[in-house]
Amino acid sequence: MRRSRLQSTIIYVSFALFLIWILFPLYFTVLSSFMTPSEIGSRPFHWWPENPTLINYIAIFTGNSTPFGEGVSQGIVSSTDAVERILPAMGRSLIVGALVALINVVIGGLAGYAFSRFPFRGASLAYFLLIASRVVPGLAIVLPFFIVFRQVGLLNTMTGLTIAYVAFTLPISVWVLKTYFDTVPIEIEEAATIDGASRLRTLAVIVAPLAKPGLIAAGLLAFLEAWSEFFFALVLTDSLTAPPVVAGLQSLQQFSWTTLAAATVVTVIPPVIIAVAFQRYIVSGLAAGSVK
Amino acid sequence: MTEAKAALRGPRRHSPLARSNRRFGALIAAPAVLLVLGLIAWPAVQTLVYSLQDSTFVRQGSWNGFENFIKLFSSEKFMNSLGLTAVYAVGFLVLSTALGLAFALLLNQEFRGRWLARGLLIVPWAFPWVMVGIIWKWFVDGDVGVLRAIVVDWGFAPEFVAPLSTKNGAVAIAIIAAAWRQSSLAALLFLAGLQTMPREIHEASLVDGASTWQRFTHMTVPWLRPVIGVVIILNTISGFMQFDVIWALTQGGPGNATTVLSIYLYQQLFVDTNLGLASATSVVLGVLALGLGFIFVKLMYRDKGISEGVQ
Repeated sequence: MRRSRLQSTIIYVSFALFLIWILFPLYFTVLSSFMTPSEIGSRPFHWWPENPTLINYIAIFTGNSTPFGEGVSQGIVSSTDAVERILPAMGRSLIVGALVALINVVIGGLAGYAFSRFPFRGASLAYFLLIASRVVPGLAIVLPFFIVFRQVGLLNTMTGLTIAYVAFTLPISVWVLKTYFDTVPIEIEEAATIDGASRLRTLAVIVAPLAKPGLIAAGLLAFLEAWSEFFFALVLTDSLTAPPVVAGLQSLQQFSWTTLAAATVVTVIPPVIIAVAFQRYIVSGLAAGSVK
Repeated sequence: MTEAKAALRGPRRHSPLARSNRRFGALIAAPAVLLVLGLIAWPAVQTLVYSLQDSTFVRQGSWNGFENFIKLFSSEKFMNSLGLTAVYAVGFLVLSTALGLAFALLLNQEFRGRWLARGLLIVPWAFPWVMVGIIWKWFVDGDVGVLRAIVVDWGFAPEFVAPLSTKNGAVAIAIIAAAWRQSSLAALLFLAGLQTMPREIHEASLVDGASTWQRFTHMTVPWLRPVIGVVIILNTISGFMQFDVIWALTQGGPGNATTVLSIYLYQQLFVDTNLGLASATSVVLGVLALGLGFIFVKLMYRDKGISEGVQ
């Protein structure tokens, strides 16, 4: 189909607006992260750093703010251990995210397989309850978590956070995986059963490899959710994971947006890389259920 | 739904193999079902219980009926917060749904550079919510923000009033920042829906000589209906529950200008430490988000049955 000139213009103008909308806030953040605190406030605004500096990243990766030297007086993250907390927090985010993803793939995979292949008594009800709990907002149920975690000593632990995050990610994982198992042809399993393989063995050796895209999608979605979660981490821990640590920089007496910008960039790099690299899997996972 | 039911029924119900299969299914589904029941259903019920009691964090209280709710609804701060939450959620719903649909329609066209646009589309969604708030906070900051540079350096206005320092400005930025991420998710879902649209429908309409607008309202929208339903539910819930972005931007300020219910809930919890009121607020939030999400979809599917849309 040929387009009129007007249609082409509309498309390319929209494209330009789309790029500005997405990239402009990002450009500003990345730009700031390569500036010194004194340059960021300069007027007129510098659209490119005069003397690009890694000073903000050095502060984060070495875990101290001394590279700024005299800059301290200009409003750098100065006191406290705020900067040195960033890397360890990212490490804990990684561990929690990986655990949550693993549990989702295993437990969610088993359940998804059961709902797809071995309907048991009450399966419809159980499946409905799982799907319904997907829309129960975390904000509304944080209190019992807080109270019980306090009693059993799970406040401020990675175990506690992992448990909470599994609760929120499992329903979606089961949904994604059941939907995926439904698309895997059943004949192959039947052949394996006739050959005398046990059902669990069939699942592990034959079905799981066929369902790999679904398993990857479920695992990645769970990881991203855990990596990004803020509210529960804020309520149930004392800045254990990366999001609350980085957000906490804002409330310090003396700190610089440039350091915060670098911390933000470092924290968003893992999820952005995962999302872009595995876009196909993730979108199919997100779309399962909403798009037929 | 019907498909799922048929699949769940299975053929040979009474053979020993069928029974053993059922037991196997129940066994391997049990961990997930029990975890979700224990970690979501139980806390949800527990929250409801707390909202009807005068419990504190250290002591199980006694039932006090709807006292917490009565207290809430007669408190001016809560009512203001409720109204603000509604405004926020509607603004967020409209902006992120409209932008998402617009982006999806654009990215469904063929043009040079589309691969780049499609690759970038997922990027805002990959950002943790709280990071979205941080980025936008400094983007519009009165001292270092780039928005000030554009307004003042490029001569649009002699002075720049930092939007986060004004009541309406703060609400607007909180909506725009959150929509920056959510419109990306909406667009991904809409685009996936558009891509399943059979070419024939499109081509037939071209032969019929339908205008672009007619094609949009008569074919694209009906085709996308189920996706629109899901996106509206997701956006509604996400709008009512938004905490991270607002926390990073303003922590509820200036004054109480952006103290939506989620922020108010946090304050009740950690400033006032009032378990009963916080639980009642949780219940109101949950009911609002779920109820409104379903009402929207019900309206959309008045003649089609709700199950198709949310399946």
